[in-house]
This record gives sequence, C-alpha cells and structure tokens, in this order.
Amino acid sequence: MIENNSSVVLQSEKVGILHYINMIRKFYKSILALSVAVSISIGYVAAQDSTSIASAAPAGGGDVAKGEGLFKNNCAQCHAVTAEVVVGPGLAGIEERRDYAWLKNWINNPMGVIGSGDKYANELYLKYNKTQMTAFAAFGDEEVKSILAYVKSASTPVATAPVAGAVATTPAETGGGTFINVILVALLVIMGLVLVALLGILQLLNRLSGADAGAADTSLSFGEKLQASFKNIAANKTVRSAIVWAFILLATKATFDGMYGIGVHQGYAPKQPIAFSHKLHAGEMKINCAYCHTGVYKGKQSGIPSANICMNCHNAIKRESPEIQKIYTAIETNKPIEWVRVHNLPDLAYFNHAQHTNVGGLECKNCHGEIEKMEVVQQRSSLTMGWCIDCHRKSEVNGKDNGYYAKLMEAHSAVSKGAMKVQDNGGLECAKCHY
Amino acid sequence: MKVSLKNISLALSIVTFSTVVLTSCSDNNSTGWEFAPNMYNSRAYEPLTQWRKNIINADGKDMRSPVAGTISRANYQTSFLQDDSTVVNDLMVYNLPKDSIAVAEVTLKNPIPWSDKAEEEGKVLYERNCLHCHGEKGAGDGAVGKVYKGVPNYASDAYKNMNDGHIFHVITYGKGRMWSHASQVNPEERWKIVHYVHRLQLGN
Ligand code: HEC
Ligand code: HEC
Ligand code: HEC
Ligand code: HEC
Ligand code: HEC
Ligand code: HEC
Ligand code: HEC
Repeated sequence: MIENNSSVVLQSEKVGILHYINMIRKFYKSILALSVAVSISIGYVAAQDSTSIASAAPAGGGDVAKGEGLFKNNCAQCHAVTAEVVVGPGLAGIEERRDYAWLKNWINNPMGVIGSGDKYANELYLKYNKTQMTAFAAFGDEEVKSILAYVKSASTPVATAPVAGAVATTPAETGGGTFINVILVALLVIMGLVLVALLGILQLLNRLSGADAGAADTSLSFGEKLQASFKNIAANKTVRSAIVWAFILLATKATFDGMYGIGVHQGYAPKQPIAFSHKLHAGEMKINCAYCHTGVYKGKQSGIPSANICMNCHNAIKRESPEIQKIYTAIETNKPIEWVRVHNLPDLAYFNHAQHTNVGGLECKNCHGEIEKMEVVQQRSSLTMGWCIDCHRKSEVNGKDNGYYAKLMEAHSAVSKGAMKVQDNGGLECAKCHY
Repeated sequence: MKVSLKNISLALSIVTFSTVVLTSCSDNNSTGWEFAPNMYNSRAYEPLTQWRKNIINADGKDMRSPVAGTISRANYQTSFLQDDSTVVNDLMVYNLPKDSIAVAEVTLKNPIPWSDKAEEEGKVLYERNCLHCHGEKGAGDGAVGKVYKGVPNYASDAYKNMNDGHIFHVITYGKGRMWSHASQVNPEERWKIVHYVHRLQLGN
C-alpha cells in the first residue's frame, strides 16, 4: 500500500510540475502579448504626438493655418518648406537668410528687385537659370507674415518617433506567396502520382504482352522492344499512307494560311529609334492621344508628333536620360526623328481618321487595340478590306447632334425600321475607299 | 501509295515553303510577305512616310519647311457667327511678338462670344491639351504636372484675374516654364480654351 501510495504521490507531483510549467508558459505568452500591445500603442501615441506638436507650433506674428493655405495655393508648386529644390530654392531657414523687408519686396515683385540691381537677387536669378518667379503684388504684410510663419513651423524638424506597430503587418503580406507555394507542391504531388500510375499500367501491359510474345523477347531491353514495335507500325502500308496524307493536308493548310497572311501586317511591332512607351505616356501619365497625334480629330492623318511636342515636357523631365538625349540631338542637328511606320494601308485605299473619330465617335481602341498598355506599338487589327467592310455592316451612323445627317436619318426611318448602318450610307461603295 | 523520291521531294518542298511563309509572318520586326510592295511603300510622296532618298530636295527629305515668314491661311478663321446670327470679324493672324504679353492683355478680347457650346468645346480641348499638367479642376495637379513641377493653380490669387489676352498669349508663346502650344491648338481652339480657363479660375 505504501508503495502504491508513494507512486500516487509521485504522479500528482508530476502533474503539479507540468501544471506549473504550463502556467509559466502562459505567463510569458501574456507578457509578450502585453509588451507588443504596449509598444504598438506607444508608437501610435508618439506618432500622434508629433503631428499635434507640428500643428500647435508657435505662430511668430502670422497665422500658421492661413499661411498654410496661402503657401499650398500659391507657392507649393515651385517651393518646398524643406531645403529641397523644386523649381525655386527650398524655403527652410529663409528668415535667417533674408530680412523681412527684402522678402516682402521680393514676393510682391521679384523682377523689380532683380531690376533694382540687388546683388543677392541677381545671383539667385542666375543660379536658377533665369527662371522668373511669379509676382504676388496683392500680398500685404498679413499674407506674407502668415506664409513665413507657416514655412518656419513646417520646416522645423520634429523628432520622429520610431513606429513599433509597423512590424505587425509583415506576416500577412507573405500570405499570398505561401498559398501559391502550396498549390505548386500539390501539383507536383499529383504529377508524381500520375507518373507512378502510368508506370504501373506500363508494367501491366508489358507483362500482358510478354505472355503472347514468347520467351525470346524477354531478353530484349525496353528500348529495343519499342524500336521493334515502331518498325512494325512503319511497315504497315495503310498507316504509312495515312501519315503521309495527314502531313500533306497540314502542310497545305499552313501554306494557305500563310498565303492569306500575305499583305496583312497584323502583329507587326517594329523596334523604334527611341524607346518611347505609350504605356508610360498615355497609360500612367494619362496624356491624351490628341496631345501628340494632333490631327486625329481634324483630318485624314492623325500624325506623329514632331520633336517640339516632346520638348514641351522633356525640356525639364529626365533630360539626362540617353533616350531623351536623342530628342535633343534631333533638334540640334535639325534632323527629324525617323520613327518606323507601323500601320500602313496600300495606296489603293483611302482612310480618314476624322470621319471615324470625330464624326463617327469611334474610340482609338476599336481599331488600334489598347495602345495605352503597349510598351512598343503593335498593329492589332488586320487592316484588310474585309475588316473595314465587316465594321461598316455592323456599326450605326452617329447622327447625334449632327445636322448634316438629320434629313438622311428621317428618310431612312421612313423606309426601314432598323437604325441606319454605315452600309446604308454607302459604306460599301467601292469608290468611298478606293481612289 | 508509293513512297518514291518524287513524292518525298514534293512533301519536303511544301513543308519548307510553308515554314518559310509562316516564320516570315511571326517575326514582330518584319511586315511579312507583301503581294504588291509598291502599293505599301509607294513612289508617290505620302504624308508621314518616306522610303527612298529624295533626289530633288537638297537634304534628301520629301518634307519641306514652309518659306520663312509665311502663315498657313487654312488655320486662320477670321469671322465668327454669333448666336443672334450676326457675324463678328476679327483678324486672327496673331502678330504680337513673344515679349508683348502686356500689350496682349489690353488689346485682345475673345472674338468668339461666350456660349455653353463654346465653353463645352473649350472643355474638350482643355482635356486633350492641358489637363495632364494643369489638372482636371485647374489646380495644377495633373499626373504630368506632378513630375514637371511648377504648374500653378488657376484659382489662386496671382492667377484668378488673368484676362482673355493674357491666357491667349500664354498658349501661343508659353510663359516661364510652360512652353508654346501653338503647334497643337490653332487660334480658334485657343479662344475656346480661354472660355474654359475662365471657368476654372472661379475655382470648383
Ligand atoms: C513659378 C514658380 C514660383 C512660384 C509660384 C513662387 N516662386 Fe519663389 N522663387 C522661384 C524661383 C525660380 C526663385 C529663385 C530666384 C529666381 O530665379 O527668380 C524663387 C525665390 C524665392 C525666394 C528667395 C529664396 C532664397 O533662397 O533667397 C523666396 C523667399 C520666395 N521665392 C518666396 C516665394 C513665395 C512666398 C511664394 C508664394 C507666395 C513663391 N516664392 C512662389 C519660383 C517661384
Ligand atoms: C507623348 C506623345 C504621345 C501620346 C500621348 C500618344 N502617342 Fe501614339 N505615338 C507617339 C509617337 C512618338 C509614335 C511613333 C513611335 C511609335 O510608333 O512608338 C506614336 C505611334 C502611334 C501609333 C502607330 C503609328 C504608326 O506608325 O502606325 C499609333 C496607332 C498610336 N501612336 C496611337 C496612339 C493612341 C491610341 C494614343 C492614346 C491612347 C497615343 N498614341 C498617345 C506619341 C504619342
Ligand atoms: C506631356 C508630357 C510629355 C510629353 C509631351 C512627352 N513625354 Fe516622355 N515622359 C514624360 C514623363 C512624365 C516621363 C516619365 C519620367 C519619369 O519616369 O520620371 C517620360 C519618360 C520618357 C522616356 C523614358 C526616359 C527614361 O530614361 O526613363 C522616353 C524615352 C520618353 N519619355 C520619350 C518621349 C518622346 C520621344 C516624346 C515625344 C514624342 C515624349 N517623350 C513626349 C512626359 C512627356
Ligand atoms: C476606324 C478605325 C480607326 C480608328 C477609330 C482610329 N484609327 Fe488610327 N489608323 C487606322 C488606320 C486604318 C490607319 C492606317 C492609315 C494609313 O495607312 O493611311 C491608322 C493610322 C494611325 C496612325 C499612323 C499615322 C497616320 O496618321 O497614318 C496613328 C498615329 C493613329 N492611327 C492614331 C490613332 C488615334 C490616336 C486614334 C484615336 C483618337 C485612332 N488612330 C483611331 C484606323 C483607325
Ligand atoms: C470600328 C468600325 C470601323 C472600321 C474598322 C472601319 N470603319 Fe469606316 N466607318 C465606320 C463608321 C461608324 C463610319 C460612319 C461615320 C459617320 O459618318 O457617322 C465610317 C465611315 C467611313 C467612310 C465614309 C463613308 C461615307 O458615308 O462617307 C469611309 C470612306 C470609311 N469609313 C473607310 C474605312 C476604311 C477604308 C476602313 C478600313 C481601313 C474602315 N473605314 C474601317 C466604322 C468603321
Ligand atoms: C470600307 C472601305 C472599302 C470598300 C467599300 C471597298 N474596299 Fe476594296 N479595299 C479596301 C482596303 C482597306 C483594301 C486594302 C486591303 C489590304 O491592304 O489588305 C482593299 C483592297 C482591295 C483589293 C485588293 C487590291 C490588291 O491589290 O490587293 C481589291 C481588288 C478591292 N479592294 C476591290 C474592291 C471593290 C471591287 C469594291 C467595291 C465592291 C471595294 N474594294 C470596296 C477597302 C475598301
Ligand atoms: C507640360 C505641362 C503644361 C501643359 C501641357 C500646359 N501648361 Fe500651362 N503652365 C505650365 C507651367 C509649368 C506653368 C507655370 C509657368 C511659370 O510661371 O513658370 C503654366 C502656366 C500657365 C498659365 C499662367 C501663366 C502665367 O504665369 O501667367 C496659363 C494661363 C496656362 N498655363 C494655360 C495653359 C493652357 C490653356 C494649356 C493647354 C493648351 C496649358 N497651359 C498646357 C505647364 C503646362
């Protein structure tokens, strides 16, 4: 009994120890959680603190909030409140550099100050390549002081607190990646299983075929067996002629397909002399097509922009890039940039952009595909006669707000119920498209 | 069917022919086969296209610059029909030099009378030519404006009082960091844009 008892005691002691360890683990866990929570909230509070400091900065003779509005509306496009150069110099510490009277004069009439022979102003003007600053003649003392007060408060560096909470987001971000990994592994496993099954079937087939092929064959290796069976098949006359015929048919089809492709430039995407990207300009920068293709709503030709249009932006943007330097070279040497033509109808056909974009109201992507997503322009449509005719059969004439078509539409609806298609307006007449 | 030398060579030639045709089409840098190449790269002068050196013009180009000092009349409409069916005549040929913005401010008035339609057309033109720098509401926050820097807000104090002549002159010759847009918008279009810029100067 004593033994039994002692064993019981021992067991309960073990349970007790386990329980104790568990408690310690839980305790540490909660401490960890607590510390994470505390550090996050500290970071949060600190971040909030820093913003509240910024907005509550002392106003030195001007209204900071008013100054902020004025600065953002009038100066921010050319000046930063830090030392960073935008168009003009950064304004951090401006009040240490110049006295108030000079600043007021300058802001009211910068060209006047430069004209008065002020040495500092002239040096600055030269340093900034003679960029003229806008004159703000209407600004009185109050406005100027407010702006200066804002610049001062916004440019004084505020101790930025380390953000502890940021760490928490990282595991969630990698979630997508692991999911793909799981799928890949699963696919691999499935493929492995299929392979095993196939091998099994092969073995079974081998054993079955071995039964009637006789004992002689068993000495042959797998490769030799395969060779033998191929030879058997090749010796069969019907199989052989079937293969030859299939080959001839396929080749004829390919030849005809190829012949239909003669004169069709679909898919043509030549390399251009400058790596100009529509994806960047028309897609990301949202520049309208007509800014560069100026004729597209006005005339037959939509036109390719000349170098001066590129220079409207690239006089300032990315000047140092070697690709942009090619535009500069073209202008300096007075040689046009020789773009490679992509879309090109034969001389026998007449196509007019304005008729389609301006009158018909069609969008570029109806015919050119999604140019704003292309790095290199590619011809997406076939530009064959069938393509033109197809669309003229399907599309309606755009009679909206077009007095020119009013009577025609009336006459059409008198004799027919459906909407007026381009073909009803002579869109299939040979002479409309052929000279 | 007999597998003779003749048959084999026939099949082979078909195969090579078709592969040549096929591969010539799949190359992105080539137009593939053309039935009548002279129709695509023609001998006649075509706009935007030149295939061979021009032997008449000294620089070898088909294009020629206009004679210095000439103005293309086709782009200069000189009379405008008003809503009350009277006609305003205006000499649209713009001959003030670049540095005369002050003269433009006092002498020029928009010859196209304001109407909803004119402003609507101005809006379309603004969206094509100015929006990417000056922003949808004229606040200087277009996608390119952010990269280009220094684009003003039309509604701000220094710009909200710009008059007709000032804006017309800026589009024609540019000002400061903005370059001339005369090659993209003709005078009539410029005046329509002026109507819309006035709308944006009011802010929202
Ligand atoms: C069109 C761009 C532009 C705008 C808008 C602009 N500035 Fe400037 N500013 C400049 C340029 C450029 C300079 C450098 C001198 C020069 O080239 O004329 C400058 C210089 C200055 C200087 C002298 C800086 C120094 O380091 O000494 C002050 C001060 C100044 N600007 C204040 C302002 C204020 C305030 C506003 C808004 C009310 C403003 N600027 C709006 C372009 C601009
Ligand atoms: C910043 C100027 C710019 C803008 C904006 C622009 N393009 Fe272009 N585009 C060019 C230049 C330069 C070329 C000639 C080089 C090339 O083919 O890439 C060109 C070529 C093309 C071509 C091929 C011309 C040919 O040779 O057949 C098409 C089609 C075209 N653009 C359509 C568009 C459409 C549609 C848009 C609007 C979504 C657009 N472009 C916007 C500058 C521009
Ligand atoms: C309305 C403004 C605008 C016009 C017009 C314009 N671009 Fe651009 N271009 C940009 C902007 C914005 C970028 C992007 C710069 C960046 O990435 O910071 C750019 C980038 C480029 C680049 C890439 C430069 C590099 O090294 O990354 C090339 C090449 C280029 N443009 C060529 C042209 C050509 C050629 C034309 C004339 C047909 C043209 N651009 C007209 C605004 C313009
Ligand atoms: C109805 C179909 C259609 C529409 C819509 C259309 N295009 Fe085209 N585009 C063509 C064809 C066809 C050509 C070839 C013209 C030729 O070779 O004469 C072409 C050629 C071009 C070219 C090469 C230069 C030229 O002028 O021949 C440019 C650039 C171009 N298009 C831009 C545009 C833009 C930008 C738009 C939208 C505003 C647009 N296109 C809308 C069918 C279309
Ligand atoms: C995406 C559809 C579409 C394609 C593709 C298209 N067109 Fe059109 N086309 C139209 C529409 C719509 C009109 C009618 C415009 C209107 O007057 O409202 C039109 C009108 C015309 C007209 C004027 C007809 C008239 O009544 O005066 C001609 C010429 C023309 N197209 C030629 C062509 C040629 C050449 C091609 C092929 C290179 C072509 N089109 C491809 C839609 C298309
Ligand atoms: C909507 C415009 C349109 C109309 C209408 C039209 N065509 Fe065409 N046609 C074209 C275009 C575009 C091509 C060039 C196709 C190409 O390059 O693949 C063409 C090509 C041809 C060709 C081939 C020329 C060659 O050498 O490859 C012939 C022949 C032709 N057309 C005859 C006609 C006849 C006949 C009619 C009247 C029944 C007619 N077309 C009406 C647009 C048109
Ligand atoms: C490439 C970008 C860009 C484009 C496109 C552009 N602008 Fe500007 N614009 C500017 C910049 C930058 C300034 C500031 C110029 C300065 O003062 O240095 C400006 C200034 C102006 C001003 C005020 C000029 C002054 O200082 O009195 C007007 C008015 C104006 N633009 C109108 C237009 C109109 C209208 C269009 C369209 C036809 C247009 N802009 C297209 C960049 C652009």
